[in-house]
Formats: sequence, structure tokens, C-alpha cells
Amino acid sequence: MNDLKQKIEMAFDSIDINIPEDNRMIINISKDGVISILSYLKNAGYEHLALISCVDLINENEFELVYIVSAYMKRDDEFHDREKQNIIIKTRISRKKTRFMTVINIFENAEPYEREIYELFGINFQGHPRLKPLFLEIEYEMPPFRKNFDTRKFVDDMFGNIPEIEGH
Amino acid sequence: MDRNKLIKWIKTPAKMGNKYSLHAVYFCTGCGIIEIPPTITTRWDAERFGVTPAATPRQANLFLITGYVSLKTLKSIIRTYEQMPEPKYTVGFGSCPINGGMYWDSYNTIKHLDKYIPVDGWIAGCMPRPEAIFIAVTHLWKMIDNDMADGYKKYRNNYDQYRANQEKVLGSLDWPPLFK
Amino acid sequence: MHISEIILSPLLALIVGVFFLGLSRKIMARIHWRYGPPITQPVIDIIRMFSQKSVSHGNLFNFGIIFSIAGSIAVVLFIPFGRIHPLSNSGGLLVILYIMLLAPLGIALSSGEAANPNSSIGISRKLLLTLGYEFSLLLILLALMTHYRTISITEIVALQQKGSWSLFRLPLVLPGIAYILILPAILGVRPFEISKAPQEISSGPMVEYGGTYLALAKIEHAFAIVIGISLFVNLFLGGANNLAFFFLKVLLVFILGIFINAVFPRLRTEQAIKYLFGIPAFLAFLGLVITVLI
Repeated sequence: MNDLKQKIEMAFDSIDINIPEDNRMIINISKDGVISILSYLKNAGYEHLALISCVDLINENEFELVYIVSAYMKRDDEFHDREKQNIIIKTRISRKKTRFMTVINIFENAEPYEREIYELFGINFQGHPRLKPLFLEIEYEMPPFRKNFDTRKFVDDMFGNIPEIEGH
Repeated sequence: MDRNKLIKWIKTPAKMGNKYSLHAVYFCTGCGIIEIPPTITTRWDAERFGVTPAATPRQANLFLITGYVSLKTLKSIIRTYEQMPEPKYTVGFGSCPINGGMYWDSYNTIKHLDKYIPVDGWIAGCMPRPEAIFIAVTHLWKMIDNDMADGYKKYRNNYDQYRANQEKVLGSLDWPPLFK
Repeated sequence: MHISEIILSPLLALIVGVFFLGLSRKIMARIHWRYGPPITQPVIDIIRMFSQKSVSHGNLFNFGIIFSIAGSIAVVLFIPFGRIHPLSNSGGLLVILYIMLLAPLGIALSSGEAANPNSSIGISRKLLLTLGYEFSLLLILLALMTHYRTISITEIVALQQKGSWSLFRLPLVLPGIAYILILPAILGVRPFEISKAPQEISSGPMVEYGGTYLALAKIEHAFAIVIGISLFVNLFLGGANNLAFFFLKVLLVFILGIFINAVFPRLRTEQAIKYLFGIPAFLAFLGLVITVLI
């Protein structure tokens, strides 16, 4: 793990890496470096994009995008150290300008994750081939997973005034 | 078979047939579907009550909704319910279809299923045990006997209200009204 | 030939077929270590289905299912049940070969009208399966007709009553084995359940049937079971002199079929066709050649 840390620190500047526990590495990077670090890790053998997630940090007025990559098991009879490791890449984007670039060119399975984040957080992934709703049936004024989406008020407006059926 | 039952069979064969041959559409939403496989297979054997899974809604007369109903599944539920031939019975399974359950404040989950389609009976619990399904089936038998399981008639009589409620949450529905 | 026999024969086939449906569900349940439904469950189902409102999908949809039942009844009239043989003196095997196709054809016409993709897949699979076993069946029947020098089933039964069953006559052993091998395909039970396949294509041709139509389709299925087995019993197991003995034989073959149904998983379409054109067709052909040479 430490070898990898050194290698990454050699290759990239303005990067913050810490290793909170064994086999887990957290990389904080500015939003311009995401593509390059993902392709660097893919070339280093971490070929599996496990997840893309998003956190709405409303107090800091930023979204945090989280990419988790890991390595596939290559051989049945012996472990490579790499195969136990998870690498978490975090980046921040502004809440005002909700635009980011897609990583489909590197990891093809990013497509549904990016669609989901587009739908629930409203982040527009530039270059995504079909950025349209995935789960939700109806359109919302504001993407429903944002912290300033008032769920109670929405539920009251939407479902609160549906009348009971009278008569039988 | 005792004499009373025989007389009932001769007097009202349709009602008795509906009682003892409940072919169910298990609508697999949420966690309730976990309870269904043990119910219809060896451990609890629903077939001795005449309850069997039906392959399509056209062949079924019992609609078992097993879990929370999101807006997308509500659309499918309405379509499935309208395809089933009358008489048909609906049973809500678990607390989520009854009043939203733990999804009370969810932006995407409806709270009261009986505002959109008629529901003849509820099984409360989170989750109910498979035995509860059999209790529900025997209750349904009593209700069919006393003509109380008349949800499909209610749907027919108040179709305007039901359709209005459905359109209120789903926007415009892309199929024509069932009853004019 | 009496008019009473013409009424009695289809009625008998219907009762036995519906009883078999119930019995199969009970036996399947017992094989699964379940208690199972009451043996009258298919009757209850059929009463329930007739009482339900049903949705029609056009004239051909209504006509096809009735056509299919009529075809089944016509076949039943040509098959002797013990001493009851309303029309089997005339026509014989050739007629049966022709009108046995009416029932699947009727179902195909009817469910094709429903315009459901699942039913189209089901029909094509059903007709493909029919094509698969019909070839072997034709060879088997040719061998039989050559051996006995007659096309009448009653005469074949009478000849077997005098001597031994066809299954144990030397030149007919191979066609008999071939017939046993294709019997599950004729009945449409589990290894060859490809046209129904409830888990895969939602009961295939019956996907749009509800209410009355489903009840009629169930009745047609009951007829099909009785026809498939009683033809085998008549041709290879010696038929019978009286009704009870005949249906006992049919019952035994049917229970064997249920066991096969319970044990085997479903084949894919191409596997089924490959199987049907493989060993059974070869055995039937070999049997025909031997019969002709002897």
C-alpha cells in the first residue's frame, strides 16, 4: 500500500493521500485530476469500479463525489496483495455549478451510477450518452436527495390531500 | 364433506368455486416476497388451501401485494389489477401498503394503497409470518361467504374517484379508462 | 355403434382426464413432501373459471378454443375405451393421425389472435414439438399397420387380446420403446414442457386466457392427456376387454408420466428437438425396417 502511495505522490502533485487502516486508501484530489488518477489506477491493475456515490455537504456548499475502485482476483490459488485493497477517491464540486465529466471512457460500468446521481442529486455528467431518469416515475422540482429538498412538505403536498374513496 | 357444505355448493357454486380456488398474483415488491417461497412450497404448502401462484394476471383472482408500493410499482399494480377478470380480491401484505409503514415520509412511496385500488383485506405486521397468509385466506373465505369481499364492485362503481387519485400522483396514465 | 356410446365416450374421457389432473397435483405434492390440494381441486378451479368474467380478444379467439375442444372430442370418438368404441370401426389410425393435429391447431389459432408475444413464442414451440414427435409417431404407426396388416384400432386390440401385447412381439419391440420415449412429449409433461413453461414465458399459449377460456383450455388439456395415453395403451399394451381394466392401464402409464414430470427439469427447445429426432426416430425407423423385412 505504501509503495502505491509513494508512486501516486510521485506522479501527481497537489494530492492528499491517507491510509486509515490496512488495505484502504483515501485519495482526496481536486476535480480536474479525477480522470487522470482513475486511468492511472486502472493501469496499475485496479480494474473494477465498485461504486460511485455522492454526498451533499450543504454547509460547505459543495457536493462530494466518491469513487471506489478495487482489483479483480486473477488467480484461484494465490492472493495478490492488490486484490484485498479498496481505493476511495474523493473530490469536491461546487453546489452552484453542478457539472462534472463522465468517467465512462475509463470504466464503462459507471453509466448507471452516473444516471442515478444525475437523477437524485442533479449533477450533470458531461459526455454521458443517455442521461435520462433511471428510477423515478415522476418529475420533481428539485432532485430529491439534495439536503434542501423538503421531503415533509413534498409528501404533504403530494400524498396528503388525496381524498379517501367515498361510497361502495 | 358435510351436508351444509354440499348444499352451499349446489346453491352458490360460483361463490364456493371462488373461495376454494384462489390463484394468486404475487406482486413482488419489497421484503414481503421473501415470505412467499416458503408459503407456496414444502414448509407451509399453500396449495392445500387452493392457493397457487398463477402465471399471468388473466388466470388469477387473488392479488397479494407484498410490501411497499413506490410510484413506479403503483403503475404496474394498477395495470395488473385491471387485467384480472372479475371477481377478484386484493390483499395488502405487511404494514407498508396499509399506511406507508417505515416509508411514511418518503418522496417516492405512496402511503395508503386503498386510495388507488380497492383492497379487501390487510395483513398487518412487519413482516407477517407465513401463517398470517393462511389466516388471511380463511378470513377471505368468510368475507366471500357474506358478500363482503366486494372490492371489484367498489372499483367499478367509484371508478372516477379511483382514476382521479391515480392521475393525481402519476400524472397522465398512458392507457384508456377501464370503465366509461 | 349406439348413440349412447357417442355421448358416453367423451364424457368418460372428460371425467377421467379431470380426475387425472387432480391426481397429478396430489402425487406431485406428495413427492415434494407436501399435503397437497384435495383431489377435486381441478373441478373447483374449472367451476371458478366458468364463473369469472372473461375478456375476449376477437372472433378467432373464441372460435379457436372451441375448434380445439371439438377436435379433441372427435379424436376421442375414434379411440376405443375397452368395449366402448363409437367410431373406431371406421377410419382407424389414419383418421386419428389427421385429426389429432386439430387440437393444437385450434389453440394456436386462438392464442395467436391475442397478440401477446409470449403466446406467439408458446405456439411456435408447441408446433415445433408436435413436428418433433409426429415424425417418430408416424414411423411407429406405419410399423404397426404393416405388422398387423390393418388400420383399424379395434382389430389391432383384438389381435393383441388373442396373442401377446405388441410391446412384447418381436418386430414391434423397437417401435414400442420409441413410443415410450416420445410419450412425455405427446403429453407435454416436464422434460418437454417447453410450450407452457410458466416460469419462462408465463404459460405460453394460455397467457391471455382468463375465465371461461382458461376453463376450456384446461378441459382440452384433460382430453389431451387421455387421448395420448389411451392411444398408447390400445396400440402397445393390448387395450382391454372391459372399461375398468382399460383405465387401470391408462392410470399406470399416467402415474409413470407424473414421476418423470416430477424428476426431470425442462429441456430447452433445441435440446428437445435434438432428442426427439435422435434415438426415438432412429429406433422407430429401425423397427419399421425390421417389420417390413419380416
